[in-house]
Amino acid sequence: MNTNNRILQVDGLTKIYGKDNNKTEALRGISFDVLEGEFLGIMGASGSGKTTLLNCIATMIKPSSGKVVLRGKDISTFTGSGLANYRGKKIGYLFQEFELLDNLTARENITLPLALHGITGKNAENDIRQIASKLDIAEVLNKFPSQMSGGQKQRVAAARALILNPSIVLADEPTGALDNKNSKILMDKLCAISDEDHKTIMMVTHDANAASYCSRILFIQDGRLFHELRRNMATETSASFYKRIVTVMAQLGGGSANVL
Amino acid sequence: MFFKQVRLNAARNRKGNGLFFGSLVISIIAFYTLLSLDKQDVMRFLGSIESDAVRKLMTLIPLVYVVSLFFVFFLVYFACKYQTDSRRREFGMYLMLGMKRGRLFFMLFCETLWSGLVSLLIGLPVALFLTEGISLVTAKLIGFGIIGHTISFSADAILWAVCGFVIVQLLSMLIICIPIGNAEPAKLLNSAASEKQALTSARKSTAFFIFGILLLLTAYYFGLSEPSGTNMSTYYLSILALLVAGVLGTFLLYRGLGSLIGKLISRKSQKVAGLATFTGRQVQENVLYQHKSLAVSSLLLLIALSCISYGIAVGIGRTTGSRTTDFSVIGTETDVATALKLPEIEEMVETSYPVHLSRTKTKFDTGNMIGALKKILKADNIVQNFHTEYVLSETSYNRLMSAMGKEPIDLSGNKSALYSTMGSNLGDFYNLLNKALKSSVTVGVNGETYSLLPKLYYDNIVADRSITLYTALIVPDELYQKLAKDTEPFCWNIHLKKSLTDKLGLMQATQKMGGYLAKAGFKYDSYLGSIGRNLFYTVATSYLTIYLGILFLLISNTVVGLKYLIQQRRNKHRYITLLMLGADTEDLCRSAKKQIQMFFTLVLSVAVCNSIIAIFTMFTNLTRLPPAVTSMTTTLAAIALSAFVITEIIYISIVKRTACREIRMLEVTDRG
Repeated sequence: MNTNNRILQVDGLTKIYGKDNNKTEALRGISFDVLEGEFLGIMGASGSGKTTLLNCIATMIKPSSGKVVLRGKDISTFTGSGLANYRGKKIGYLFQEFELLDNLTARENITLPLALHGITGKNAENDIRQIASKLDIAEVLNKFPSQMSGGQKQRVAAARALILNPSIVLADEPTGALDNKNSKILMDKLCAISDEDHKTIMMVTHDANAASYCSRILFIQDGRLFHELRRNMATETSASFYKRIVTVMAQLGGGSANVL
Repeated sequence: MFFKQVRLNAARNRKGNGLFFGSLVISIIAFYTLLSLDKQDVMRFLGSIESDAVRKLMTLIPLVYVVSLFFVFFLVYFACKYQTDSRRREFGMYLMLGMKRGRLFFMLFCETLWSGLVSLLIGLPVALFLTEGISLVTAKLIGFGIIGHTISFSADAILWAVCGFVIVQLLSMLIICIPIGNAEPAKLLNSAASEKQALTSARKSTAFFIFGILLLLTAYYFGLSEPSGTNMSTYYLSILALLVAGVLGTFLLYRGLGSLIGKLISRKSQKVAGLATFTGRQVQENVLYQHKSLAVSSLLLLIALSCISYGIAVGIGRTTGSRTTDFSVIGTETDVATALKLPEIEEMVETSYPVHLSRTKTKFDTGNMIGALKKILKADNIVQNFHTEYVLSETSYNRLMSAMGKEPIDLSGNKSALYSTMGSNLGDFYNLLNKALKSSVTVGVNGETYSLLPKLYYDNIVADRSITLYTALIVPDELYQKLAKDTEPFCWNIHLKKSLTDKLGLMQATQKMGGYLAKAGFKYDSYLGSIGRNLFYTVATSYLTIYLGILFLLISNTVVGLKYLIQQRRNKHRYITLLMLGADTEDLCRSAKKQIQMFFTLVLSVAVCNSIIAIFTMFTNLTRLPPAVTSMTTTLAAIALSAFVITEIIYISIVKRTACREIRMLEVTDRG
């Protein structure tokens, strides 16, 4: 592995909820790296700790021990405006339920991270137009969320996550609230952005279809790394990668002995 | 276990929501203050001299009480709604855990009653303290002194206040609980969902806004224009048109305002950074969804400001005048002299003297006076009506002067003085006559010329303030004997001993002396009795209008504040998303503060504009205030305005503090 283009380093991450006898270990010392431009998938059964992992990286929760280093900086050292800056500029977050502000238009939602960092929408008009065209949402820019379809909402949310050109986009089940058609559109767009713009995306998902767009998948079980799948982007089709994913998922229920 | 849970929940409600608890306490204070009115010193005294009028007022109290109940209901309803809205998730959870709906309702009602009990324990002592204060201050202001003060505790008032409070609270909870009972647990568990932003037709909204402004301007026009003609039906029609145009205009203005704010934001959103767009959209949303509440609050504020202004103006403007004599007794010289020698009366009397005041048949030559008045601007009305038909003896007036500790007048050497009880209270009348007298005016009496003293005399010569003398001539005693139609004294003035009034208070001393005089069979008027009549209507009007005004002020502010807080809590997920997008908690607090300020400003600005016109209309076209008030307009306006501004500042800061506390409690992990 070429560690020079390593963008994110997760080292011995643990997260324990509760105290004494009520302790629950959600993460038990997970370590991995994410390379720049990689489309990484995190999969696992419910309660395996994948969302906790994502939330630790997103600074939504503090890990009990271990380190998360983004571009050489330990994120646990961020506080106050440093933390706000990290959340807004260094990471983009894509939520399962979109979390668009429903009283703001699509354009206002997209420019919100810009505004929060002192940039006016006018100054970023080019960026907005580019990203809107890439995600095919140009025609809904002046509409409110209530006037959009679920797919359009999630693509607006994706535009919002990408507008500040963050180092990494964290996506928590982004297709979870979408139908098949809209899931496919969204994943095609994210995949294209990852390929063309060399954008790093880390996605938690249950959906093997969505995961088949990734270049690498980490499987987590009981707070530990259980397995890793890499897709040969040059030779392997997403259909055959999908089959491998489904096989691993089937094994997850039966324990590590059955893993191919 | 169940009741422990109830107690803990109720305590959490009180701790977490000062506005909720404050509203409950305010409603108790409001009820008790109104209901204990008949136990107040002033009312007890007025009841002893004007029992019919007081009885009429007391029959009016239940009506005002019902009106208060109605309005306080909204106060309590919104406070309880705010409280229960924030707990919908918890209720959903209880239902999912297997709690029966009936038990959930029972729990909520028990919590309500428990909170009510705590509110009563706090509210009632505060109310008692407050009414005592009001009683003492009113008595002091009116000059009764505090010696005759008795505790204004009223068991009936407590009973009714408690009943009203419990009814209002339970009714509010019932109305709030019905939709909760009908809602599916899933709906309760996901209650954070905000209303969807709907696009209203911009053209329609603009039309509403413009139409609203036009209607308000029409109302202003009706208010500011002088009522034309004497036709009463036209007059009432114009008042009706004013009210309809004003109310409808306010509603339409707010109906169209939301979309207008939206347009403004759309135009500016690409040019501003920070949370400006979010702040604007939040305010717009509040206006779009709360336009009816905003209109109602704004109108309530208008009524509040009008009531308070009117109450203060009437209260301050009452025409008490200075205390000249304590009693004026009607009776023959011998009868009065005998009575004054009675030991119980004699020990109370400082001084007594006959008042020689009589009509005269003599026509005075007032040409010189009229000539002087003609030279003064704006005196046309007085010139046309000036006449003098009464004479007053110099000695009587000087006895009054010496009893009051004032300098006596000297009419030796063909002098006379002009007297009028319309004097100082009529402002212009007093000033114009005084000005005319300064130019060495004379009056002709039976061919002889008397020079008038260069000042108008106005101290009430009798205790009865309802007797007003347009003008009278104070003349030397010998001349009085010649001019008077009836040389018998008009009445006898009695002044009470200062030591006695100091010891018993003027109110009690007057009552005691009145009792003796009535027992002796005399007709009499007392200073307090006379101002009492005058005072009764002003105190009653002033008290009730200020009471209603304050109540409306509190209700409208609480409604605006709670409406905002309910909306903020409903939209808390937005704040969490903003935190995730990199907003600082303090940025969010600043945005919330701006939203609150703008939200309140939207209500206040319309209310204040409407109030200025309404108060002006009220004091010019609809009702006439005592003339003394006009000279105090600035002071009154300043008092009312400062009280209003202070109340608003307090409310806005309470809402801001609550909003910021809720934002600071948010964590990015609270999603969902």
